[in-house]
Amino acid sequence: MHFLNNLMNQNAYSLDKTSKSKFFKKYLNFLTTFHYKKSNLYKSYLKGINYSVKKNNNLSDIPFLPVRLFKEFDFLSIKKKEIYKTLLSSGTTSNNLSKIYIDKANALNQIKVLQKIFNNLIGNSRLPMLVIDKQISNIDRNSFNASIAAINGFSIFANEIVYLLDHNNNINYKILNNFLKRNHKKKFLIFGFTSNVYINLIKKIDISKLHIKNLSNAFLIHGGGWKKIEEKKISRNKFNLNLNIKLGIQNIRNYYGLVEQIGSIFFECKCGYFIASNYSDIIIRDENLNISKKGEKGLVQLVSLLPTSYPGHSILTEDIGEIVNDNKCKCYGYGTRFIIHGRLKNAELRGCSNI
Amino acid sequence: MKVDKNIEYLIGKKAKLDSFLEPFSPKIIKFLDDLSKLLDNKFNNKNFPDLKALSFFCRKNNILSLKNKHQNKDTIRFGLGLLFHITPSNIPTNFAYSLIFGLITGNSNIVKVPSKKFDEIEIICKSINYVLNKNKHFQIKNMIAVVRYYSHNQIFTKNFSAICDARLIWGGDKTITDIKKFETKAKNIDIPFADRYSISLINSDKFLKLSNHKVKNLIKNFYNDTYSVDQNACSSPHLVLWQGKFTTKAKNKFWLQLDNLVREKYDSPLISTIDNYSKLVSELIKNKNIHSYKSFSKSLYVITLKKIHPKFFIEKTKWGFFYECNIKNLKNINYVSNRSLQTLTYFGFSKKFIKTFFETNNFNGIDRVVPFGQALNINLIWDGYDLTKILSREVEIK
Repeated sequence: MHFLNNLMNQNAYSLDKTSKSKFFKKYLNFLTTFHYKKSNLYKSYLKGINYSVKKNNNLSDIPFLPVRLFKEFDFLSIKKKEIYKTLLSSGTTSNNLSKIYIDKANALNQIKVLQKIFNNLIGNSRLPMLVIDKQISNIDRNSFNASIAAINGFSIFANEIVYLLDHNNNINYKILNNFLKRNHKKKFLIFGFTSNVYINLIKKIDISKLHIKNLSNAFLIHGGGWKKIEEKKISRNKFNLNLNIKLGIQNIRNYYGLVEQIGSIFFECKCGYFIASNYSDIIIRDENLNISKKGEKGLVQLVSLLPTSYPGHSILTEDIGEIVNDNKCKCYGYGTRFIIHGRLKNAELRGCSNI
Repeated sequence: MKVDKNIEYLIGKKAKLDSFLEPFSPKIIKFLDDLSKLLDNKFNNKNFPDLKALSFFCRKNNILSLKNKHQNKDTIRFGLGLLFHITPSNIPTNFAYSLIFGLITGNSNIVKVPSKKFDEIEIICKSINYVLNKNKHFQIKNMIAVVRYYSHNQIFTKNFSAICDARLIWGGDKTITDIKKFETKAKNIDIPFADRYSISLINSDKFLKLSNHKVKNLIKNFYNDTYSVDQNACSSPHLVLWQGKFTTKAKNKFWLQLDNLVREKYDSPLISTIDNYSKLVSELIKNKNIHSYKSFSKSLYVITLKKIHPKFFIEKTKWGFFYECNIKNLKNINYVSNRSLQTLTYFGFSKKFIKTFFETNNFNGIDRVVPFGQALNINLIWDGYDLTKILSREVEIK
């Protein structure tokens, strides 16, 4: 989209509040109309709720798609033959997976935006990367589940990639020691899912088997939450402290994002808040789906300027979040600061099922 | 004996349960009456209306009236032997009714309760244990085990399935499929309680003639049938059918009054906001039969359908998400009546009319037709099964 080009020449956190809301109002209205015309499914939704695409609506009035509908429907604003790749959510159960259809332009924009955000975080040079996972051979290069997509996405910032786990999910100390020997003296990346980092770098790792025990040059990026090990969840402070004490890792950044919304990727700043870049933003809604008062916990709605191949520019997630006052944080750039408190518990326990 | 941490015995212990009695045995009636008194004395408070209902059910008079209704004095019957109950997590007292039906019919019982710890379950089990520890009930002690384990600990389900004479499988289609994988004795009987949905039928004109007080009562009954279990019981209405001349006026009045009551009384978790809105959007996208919809609040959505037709289909909903439709000719109930339709609650029709109507129309579904307010009243005939007959065997003597 033409309006993205201007943004791409700027720092990823350059838009102040006033100019960002003006910009977002204009282009989210534009995207809503765009998808209304291109996607019949999306059109039935807007028609159903009597939404007029002719008005210039306020940001808070832009309709949102509940995230689980991506499991039920194939939302497409492009022709089928234009699909470049399909992203699948990493469902924890056998439930249907979300299917997100991306064309070439969207894929490219996604990479560009990730790069802009990443440059801000790490700098411009590519670094060696240790992945806290096992190597997954991609059989179908056109269809990715969320975890593979994330590893692939981040891997473009690496000049060397090493996988910590063997195919039985055990730590391969030989590979790890070799990697550290080569790279520990300069800045390097560690990337993994929060649960994998916890299991392997906090719980499993045997320090006595490490030749180099101080990983203070590591920059650890983790995300994806606790999902399968919710009952083992520990606080951010405890998590970071453990990694610090055990391995000397000081730079630890959590990220938050949805596979359903390209362009929405949020990294923690040093204060521990997620920051929205120029390309995306967050809105908190209460139990009646009205905008929450500032500082109140509520349902997370995410908006992004990127999705054009499918109507995913405004999504109501099932996560609980809270917007934090800007002046609490003096870290880089503009952009909404927020905290994520986790995912809503599925109500299946109250369901007509036997658990 | 080695204690297995993966299974908890809330009542009874790991032992052979093979006692059986005749249905409606005086021993069982006495035991249930003692239980009723204990529940009534100890927990006669407003926090647990469902315990009060349970206590009421266990009274001697109630069981005796059931006996009169269900027992044929000329036949000789005994319990099948050992029942294995897999009970659901949507209604905390369901396991107790399942157990009581097992006892009334003269069987020993292993009851698996949901892993979610409901207060009601703890209270009921404590009370049963208290009554069982009286000497006079020693025989019944050998007829009850209540167990709690996670369903993924399949070894228990496997073992219990292998020794029982019948399985009562609550919890819907998925549970039934899961449980049926475990082998049983050849003669075992499975009684599956599958996923069902329910509807209401209202005579608009009669409704509009009600006094304010009676309207309030009717709305309260509808509320109890639905919101008291998050509209998540198979017998909670999901679709309301309107008959009569003044349906529009009646609908407005009905939903507005319900909305008031819901705002006043109903509390639901945040996930219900997501569930209901997602359901609405999904319906708006795929359902071509929608005339209009109203969202009164996060806990009351009403989708007005254009018409009921031969291919009519709705999915079970919860948290106060309703469909409604006008019905001119009652025979068209046939279009919504498939095997998934369990209960029809009615208002504004006489029992006589309803009886004649159902006698003359062979509907494929509908196992229960009850007035508003009785949707959740569980009984020995449930889901179309006469449990007194199915759970006992008859000795033929000539």
